[in-house]
Parts: sequence; structure tokens; C-alpha cells
Amino acid sequence: MGRIKPSGDDKQALDDLELKSLRILFADDVYSGIKRIVRARWGAGILLVVVTAISVYLLNLPLRVLPLYLLGIIILLYNTAFALYIRRCASSQHMALKPLRRVILLQVALDWLCLSVFIHLTGGIASPGIPVLMIHMLMVTILLPYQTPYWFVIIGTLVLLLVTGLELFNVIPHIGVIPGFPLDLHRNTFYVLSVLTFFAATAFMSVYLTSSIMRRLRWRERQIIALFETSRAISSTLSLPEVMDRLAKSAADALNAQGALIRLLDETGDQLKMTASYGLSQSYLDKGPVSIAHSKLDVEALSGTAVLVDDAPADSRIQYPEQVKSEGIRSMLVAPIRGSSRVLGVLRVYANRPASFTNDDVVFLTAVAEQGAIALENALVHENLHDVNQERAQFVRLVTHELRAPVTSAQSLLRVLLQGVTGTLTNQQADILGRIDLRLNTLLELINDLLTLAATKTNFLAQELTRIPLQPVVLEVVEHMRHLAEEKHLSLTCDLPSEALPVLVAEDGLRRVLENLIGNAIKYTPEGGQVRVRVVEYGAQVATYVEDTGIGIPEEELQNLWNEFFRATNAKKTGITGTGLGLSIVKQVVEQFGGTVSAQNREGQGTVFRFTLPLA
Amino acid sequence: MAKILIIDDDPDMVLAARLCLENAGHEVYEAASSREGLSSIEQVRPDIIILDVMMDTTTSGFQLALTLRSPDPNSPYAEYANIPIIMLTAIHTTSPVKLSPDSDYLPVDAFIDKPIDPTALLKQIEEILAK
Repeated sequence: MGRIKPSGDDKQALDDLELKSLRILFADDVYSGIKRIVRARWGAGILLVVVTAISVYLLNLPLRVLPLYLLGIIILLYNTAFALYIRRCASSQHMALKPLRRVILLQVALDWLCLSVFIHLTGGIASPGIPVLMIHMLMVTILLPYQTPYWFVIIGTLVLLLVTGLELFNVIPHIGVIPGFPLDLHRNTFYVLSVLTFFAATAFMSVYLTSSIMRRLRWRERQIIALFETSRAISSTLSLPEVMDRLAKSAADALNAQGALIRLLDETGDQLKMTASYGLSQSYLDKGPVSIAHSKLDVEALSGTAVLVDDAPADSRIQYPEQVKSEGIRSMLVAPIRGSSRVLGVLRVYANRPASFTNDDVVFLTAVAEQGAIALENALVHENLHDVNQERAQFVRLVTHELRAPVTSAQSLLRVLLQGVTGTLTNQQADILGRIDLRLNTLLELINDLLTLAATKTNFLAQELTRIPLQPVVLEVVEHMRHLAEEKHLSLTCDLPSEALPVLVAEDGLRRVLENLIGNAIKYTPEGGQVRVRVVEYGAQVATYVEDTGIGIPEEELQNLWNEFFRATNAKKTGITGTGLGLSIVKQVVEQFGGTVSAQNREGQGTVFRFTLPLA
Repeated sequence: MAKILIIDDDPDMVLAARLCLENAGHEVYEAASSREGLSSIEQVRPDIIILDVMMDTTTSGFQLALTLRSPDPNSPYAEYANIPIIMLTAIHTTSPVKLSPDSDYLPVDAFIDKPIDPTALLKQIEEILAK
């Protein structure tokens, strides 16, 4: 079974993470740390002046007032410089990490210089101000990520040692500040050593505890961000390959791993198919099929728990140890991708160091895999729906072709008879054949509409949409249909704005929409009536209105208007033939272009149809 | 009058076209598949080919036209590349695909929509013969 290591060993991984992070992000983190240190330094400078004043004037302590005031002022002065620098950084919106690091080093160096002077002025090795050194160490540890805090323990100890040494050899005078304290404590080896030892030990422990707490906090923070990023990335698309790619990438990134891949069980449940990969070489990906029979590792993971592999090339559960070795993979973490009813596959991450993954990583990767499972199932459902839709449309098209072929053949033969190719017909024969032809026409129209409807469900979507101005198409269709209006003595008018209104459409689809709406308006408007086409821009949309003075639509039937095969009762009564598919084609097509359709009766008589399209 | 080869797998459609064309005095030959069509072309050497767009598959008519009009000078059908082709189509009006006689995309000379209208068919034939 996969050994889950104690979580205390994760320092190396964390250090790595921090190094990597230092390079790529968190400049703003460092930046905000500096800002807070600057703020704290204001307090330190002011406090130094105030406490000196209180100690001297209220407590009558024998302090060297002037140097202490001067020290406070120097601190405040260089802090002002840093504050100004930071403000300039913020306004330039550009926070490169390198100059920030230099600024940090400079600040810390100046601070330690001041602290040395402070320690000297407040009594050297006997100074009651020694704990101030520790406060500075802890603050830097907490506020500035990715510094090596143990250096400060050494520096602090050296500062104490240095001040004591200089005083011991009379390079600088020893200043006693506590009345009654022996003035030669710095000459007392035992005292000096014990102070130094306790100081170093306490400082070390404090820094160690603080930095490990901070590390864990930052690690958690990163994990939460990574998990959030993962869920956001994979829920932003329904495309299966994209979901899988993002999942692999974010898992690898978050775990600071060199590579990641996702294998999903195939239909047979025997093979694990490569679905997405990140950071792995092509030759590794092409190493061969991974089957349940040969990959004990995956079998373990598929049983439901994540598996840790600390020494991958030597692990007997690996199916391709040679390839793993040559790819430089030293450790692995494999998590199951558990769907709602079954395990779908595995998510693997690879590291180029042995024992790279930890207990925390197991928990984290399992969470990522669970997120992935949800996204994967959604994408699978979506893909199935899409396939079913395609198949249905294909089926409808085939059936439609089969339906149309006999009708057109029959009509072709009928027309041969009707046009007297085979000899003259009696009036009665011609009348009967004419009726048959008319009925076949209706049938053909129905079949053609069905074909278009099937096409709207596939072809228009597959067709590339182009950005074209709306008005020329409207004008063209109106002119194309004008003869129909003239036959019925209708006035067909067109009201278009002069500025170009570009829309993103398939031109044939748009034409079909206009033909259907204008054709209907002409069809159902009695002689002498009016049909008016208007285009109006509003906001980011453009609306096209087709208004008529026709028979209208019964109010209670308006909502069914867009359903396939629906025809209004009053339309049926007119005796005008229709398939009831025209408007549902309009709706389908307009919605594919991102628009909306609506219809309402006009005051008085007639109907207004409106469709909108987003301006492109 | 002209020798016209009709390539269509629908016998009724072939009959309708044959009746129109023979009535106008043309000599009509028929073939029911692309393969049969190719051998008929070699035997008959027609003046005009009427080709159904969809036979056994949805594009076999297109493919036959492309074979005949292959730009390859070594094509076995190079000598027939100049025979005018009228394509019988039912998808002309309803498909979102725009069909137009285009020498690159569809190497045909004219389209005739199904159902066949005798007058329109004869007019088209006359136009092509007049060229």
C-alpha cells in the first residue's frame, strides 16, 4: 500500500514551493510585507525618542540622551525614504521582485546597524533592550515571506558579541544604564556567555516556530487558491479536452510537480486511455497502453484511495519502470477520479525528486480529482447531448432525402403529363393531375421545412458566422419578395437606419429568417393591406420588426406560435397551406445567432414579429 | 439533335427526363450509378451529361463530376473533360450550402432543381447546345 509519510517531513517540498513562488509570483506579497515593516518602523523610531525622554526626565536614568534621540531621528529619516520609494512603486504599478529584494536587504542592514548602536547605547550585553532584537527577527520572519530567518539569529548573536567585544577592548566605552548594576558585566565571561546562549537559543526557537507556522499558513493559502483556481478553470468550459487539460495543469502547478496526466477508463474498463497531460515528454506519453491487468498502481488508485509512490523507478507496481526512469520521474501521486456512480479514471502527478509528495498533497490532490470528476461528468453529459443532437439531425436529413426523392420523381412525371409531352390531356385529366401536383407541392414544402429545421440544428451552428451589415440583407430579401406582395396588391415598405449595423450571422440563415417572416406577413394579409419591415438599433442590440395588417393571431395561441407544426386556428381556416415549421425555424436560427424572437398582435389588426440580434 | 446521358439511380426521374428529351428529338442514354455512368461515357461519348447529385451516397454526383473534370492531364477521363454537365439537385434551395457553378468547387455547367420542369430542362439544354 502507499505509504503516507508523516507531515513533518515536508520542509523540502515547501522550500521548493517557496523558491518557485519567489520567482513567479507574490511580488505583491513581499511588497505588502515591506509596507507593514515601514509602518512598524515609524512606531519604533517615535517610541525610541519618547521612551528615552521618559527614562531620562521621569526615571532619571543615566542615558546618553543625544545619541539616542539622534538614533531615533535617523530611523525616522531612512524610513521616510523607504516610504517614499514604496509609494512610487505603487503608483508605477510595476512591482518587480528583484529591486524589492534589494530594498529589503538594505532595510534589514540599516535596521541591524541601528539595533547595534541601540544595544550599545543601552548597556551592551547588560542592555534591557536585548529583546528588541528578537522582535525585529520575528517581524521580518512573519512579514517577509521567503527570507531565511535563521540568518537573523546568527546576526543578532553576532551583534551582541561584537558590541561586547568592542566594549571589552575599549574600542567603544561601556555604558551602564541601570542604576546599581555592576559596570563590568561585559568583562564577566560567564555572564556574557550565558546571555548569548540564552539569546541565541530563544531566538532560534522563536524564529523556528514562527517560520514553520507562517510556512504552513502560506502553504494552505496557496492550496486554497489553487483549489479555487482549479474549480474556476474547469467550470468555465464544457469542452471535455479543455477541462482535462486545465485539471492536469492546475494539479501539477499547485503541487509544484513536474508533470501531471489524466487517464480515463475506456468503455471496456480494461484500459486507461490518456486524456490529458502536462509537462511530460511525447516519448513518455507514447510509451504504450496502460491496462488494468498490468498497472497495479492504477488498480490501487481505482479502488478509491490515493496512492503515494516515493521511489518510482524501483516500485514494483509501476508498469513502465524504464520509461519512468528515463523521464526523470522519481516519485508519483495517483488519485482516483471518482464519478457519482463509478470511478472514471486517475489523476497522476509526477515529481523529479524521490518522496516528493506528502500527506497534505494526498488530501489536496484528492480534492482536485473530486472537482475534476464533477466537471468531467458535466462535460461527458454535454458531449453526449451534442452527439445525440448531431445523430438526430443526420437521421432527419437522411429520412427527409428518402421522403423527398419519391415525391420529386412523381412530380417530375406529373409535369411531363401536364405539359403535354406525352400527348394532349382532357380538361378533367389536367384538373385532376393539377390537384395531385398541388398536394405533392404541399408535401414537398413540408419536407423541405423539416430538412431546414434539421439543418438549423447542425449546419448553421457548424457554419462559420460572419460579421455583415444587416440592412443590405433585409433590403435584398424585401426586393426579392416584392413580386409576391404586388400579386396581392399589398404595400411592402422598408424602413432602415442609414448607419451600418453589423451582426454576426450565417447569411443564408438570416435570409431564411427574413423570408419566413416577410413571406408569412404577405401570406396572411388580405388584399390591399400593408406589410412594413423596420430595423431599429437599441443599445448593443438591433431589432427587426415585420408588421402587417393581416388576420392576427388569437391571443391564447401566441405562446404556442414557435412550436414545431403549430398553426394558428384562424390561419388554418384561411385555406392557405402552411407547414407550421416556418416560425420554429426562425426561432432556432435567431437563437443560434444569439438573438431573441417575439410576436404580438397590433392594436386594431395585424401582427408584429420582432427578432433581435446582438450588434457585432 | 444531341446525345444526352442521364446518370441517376431513380428510374422514375430518368423516365421523366427521357420523355421530355426524346419528345424534343434528343437521343437519350441512361446509367444508374457512377460506375455505370463512367463506362457509358466512354461508349456513348455524349454531348451532354445530366447527373443526379445524390445517388448511393450524398456526394457521389459531385465526385463523379470532379473525376470527369480532373485537372490532371494524365487523368483517364481527360478527353471527356469538356462534356457539359447539368446537375440535378434537390438541395439547391433548402440547404444553407450555396451552390453555384464554380469551376473549382463544383465543376458543372448548370443546376436543375427537382422536380424536373420539362420546359426549364429543355431551355437549359438548348442554352448549353447553343454555346
